[in-house]
Amino acid sequence: MYTSVRNRPPGTASPKLSRGTRVAGNVVALGLVSMFTDISQEMVTAVVPLYLTFELRLSPLQFGLIDGLYHGATALVRLLGGYFADLRERHKEVAATGYGISAACKLGLLLAGRAWAPTTGFLMLDRLGKGVRTAPRDALISLSSPHEELGKAFGVHRALDTTGALLGPLVAFFLLAAIPGAFDAVFFVSFCIALIGLAVLFLFVHNPPPRAESSSAVRISLRRAFGLVRGRAFRSIVVVGAGLSLLTMSDAFVYLTLQRTSDIATAWFPLLFLGTALVYLTLAIPLGRVADRVGRARVFVAGHVALAGVYALLLMTWLGFVQVVLVLALFGVYYAATDGVLMALASGVIPEELRTSGLALVATAVALGRFASSLAFGAMWNFFDSQLAVIAFLVVLLVSVPFAARHLYASQEARA
Amino acid sequence: MSIDKRRRVLAMVLVSVVCAGAATAYMGIASRRDDQVMDVVARAEGGAAISEIVRQPHLLFRSTGLDDAYGRMMLTPINRPGQPLAVTDLECRRVHFSGSQGICLRSEQSPLGGADAVLFDENFKETTSFAIPGTPSRAQVAPDGDVAAYTVFVTGHSYAQGGFSTRTAFVEMATGAEVGELEQFTVFRDGKTIHSPDFNFWGVTFESSGSFFATLGTGGKTYLVKGDLAAKEATVIAEGVECPALSPDGTRVAFKQRSDTGVGPVTWTVAVLDLDTLDRTTLSETRNVDDQVQWLDDDHVIYGLPKEPQSPVTNVWSVRADGTERPRLLVEGAWSPVVVR
Repeated sequence: MYTSVRNRPPGTASPKLSRGTRVAGNVVALGLVSMFTDISQEMVTAVVPLYLTFELRLSPLQFGLIDGLYHGATALVRLLGGYFADLRERHKEVAATGYGISAACKLGLLLAGRAWAPTTGFLMLDRLGKGVRTAPRDALISLSSPHEELGKAFGVHRALDTTGALLGPLVAFFLLAAIPGAFDAVFFVSFCIALIGLAVLFLFVHNPPPRAESSSAVRISLRRAFGLVRGRAFRSIVVVGAGLSLLTMSDAFVYLTLQRTSDIATAWFPLLFLGTALVYLTLAIPLGRVADRVGRARVFVAGHVALAGVYALLLMTWLGFVQVVLVLALFGVYYAATDGVLMALASGVIPEELRTSGLALVATAVALGRFASSLAFGAMWNFFDSQLAVIAFLVVLLVSVPFAARHLYASQEARA
Repeated sequence: MSIDKRRRVLAMVLVSVVCAGAATAYMGIASRRDDQVMDVVARAEGGAAISEIVRQPHLLFRSTGLDDAYGRMMLTPINRPGQPLAVTDLECRRVHFSGSQGICLRSEQSPLGGADAVLFDENFKETTSFAIPGTPSRAQVAPDGDVAAYTVFVTGHSYAQGGFSTRTAFVEMATGAEVGELEQFTVFRDGKTIHSPDFNFWGVTFESSGSFFATLGTGGKTYLVKGDLAAKEATVIAEGVECPALSPDGTRVAFKQRSDTGVGPVTWTVAVLDLDTLDRTTLSETRNVDDQVQWLDDDHVIYGLPKEPQSPVTNVWSVRADGTERPRLLVEGAWSPVVVR
């Protein structure tokens, strides 16, 4: 535990920077919790389309609709959960509630048998669990790490998290290969793996020590939590984060465009995700460390330059193998340079007592930006064509990045 | 290592062992349950020879009785359905056969969700096969047996969207080579071209080798399109028509009519659309039909239904195409029926 370090005012130099990939035990433990949870989660996610069509004969359209509506509810729960975690200093407990809900849902899917209503209900509740756990988990990571190493800490966590996301579908498909049609076995094994993750959380993750008297005198209220946006540094992170996420094509659209402008057979579709994820998990830690050294805002902005590279490549009339690999690599770089790094960046400017609420606000702003981006991209593709949609995203991104960079750097420096 | 930490590590090991044990035990039970299904004596034991049945008008279907033949392709004469039965070696999710050529969509569970299509001749022997990108959904061979169309669900990784897309392609039966993909076709509606990234096509039914009908899904609605394979064009001709099947005389299509209540799964009823007048007739089948309807003759359509709700066992039913008379059970333990005359 870095208790002595985390009580230092943020921004002061630490006596000694660790050189290697060593991070606080809490961060590794949370990474393992996420890894097991993601294996469990992605096992189910991978088989759900098959399960719904072959076993339940549910319309995919309808599921998609409910799923979309559901995103709004998750945002609210995420904000309230974050506020509660801050108020009671119970980050671990709120996170555990989220992980617990998701684990229980795996058992719920099993018990629902083949009835559609409870099945979709449990799938929704599962997402709710995810909404609840994310912000307190990220807050715990940041509160357990020295300010100078936030990038690395988030990098370690995201690398483990992505490893889980890669393993999940493999586990599920090997189970189904061993016992064809045994979806119940997938759900049960998923539940068991989720329990292991939950055990790691209970046994090896600790709440940070209670705040000193002076800071607990500071009243935590919903108003103060939302009042965070009045701080210039935080506000610029929310605005730039949400703004740039608005210009981020969703994974599905990137892969769809890629598949349509290259020779890649549709059968290789899942491999596109795999390629990006491999680059992401390889670079998460190195880029996190680079961010700690040269500035998180710079790496975050650089990630969007990589994204512009992805768009530029997508505009080529034909993509060969090398170009496809390049697109996946750049997309992986984008994720590694932005996802955890943004949380590290935000953690640096949010007071400890409001850490979870603040991170929940940033995550919600980014999620809403992504959602709006999907709608905008889909609409442009609808009314014009995919090339034009990519051109529009590229042009606006190229124009926005310098502004975003200047705004972000200025607000961070004004703070320092 | 402090005592406290040692205790926590011990607890972790304990939880892991219990979880791994429970998972293994469940897998054991689940795999034995499979064996029990397989132990049931084959229904078709002592069945007829294939050559005997193929000489007369017959049905080709996927066997769904819980026995050794589950998933295999079976044959039975149309005039005496169910007796005799013959079992082929082919195992398919979807099958269609016309003009002495057949297509069989198989799904194998693999990390990539791989599936393949097998093309076969009148002796049910494989002529060629190729990988298909997704989960098998529909298959149809043109009357002359020279082209086929198939639909798969492309289940890409779209975690946040819960979204789906289908892919419908045409293949040349002689070689298995792809000769067209519906999403690349130009679609006309009221004389203007339309396009959207959410376009999904499925359920092709052939008029001839060059002309076909299919479903276009976009914006939450479904449309009947008529397509031209050579020109790579399709034209919207009606709304709310899903999984069309052209009648043998070519004057009507039978289709699934969506009844969407907004809650619960979408349900479908079978209806017939007159291609001249665009009049619709809802047939007397009241249960939820989610199958590729086929025509038994110009007056009857056939389709599969689960024996009981959620049961893997299905039966094939027949109903008059003019909305009169009650449906009648045609073959037990059957799915994906194909009429071969």
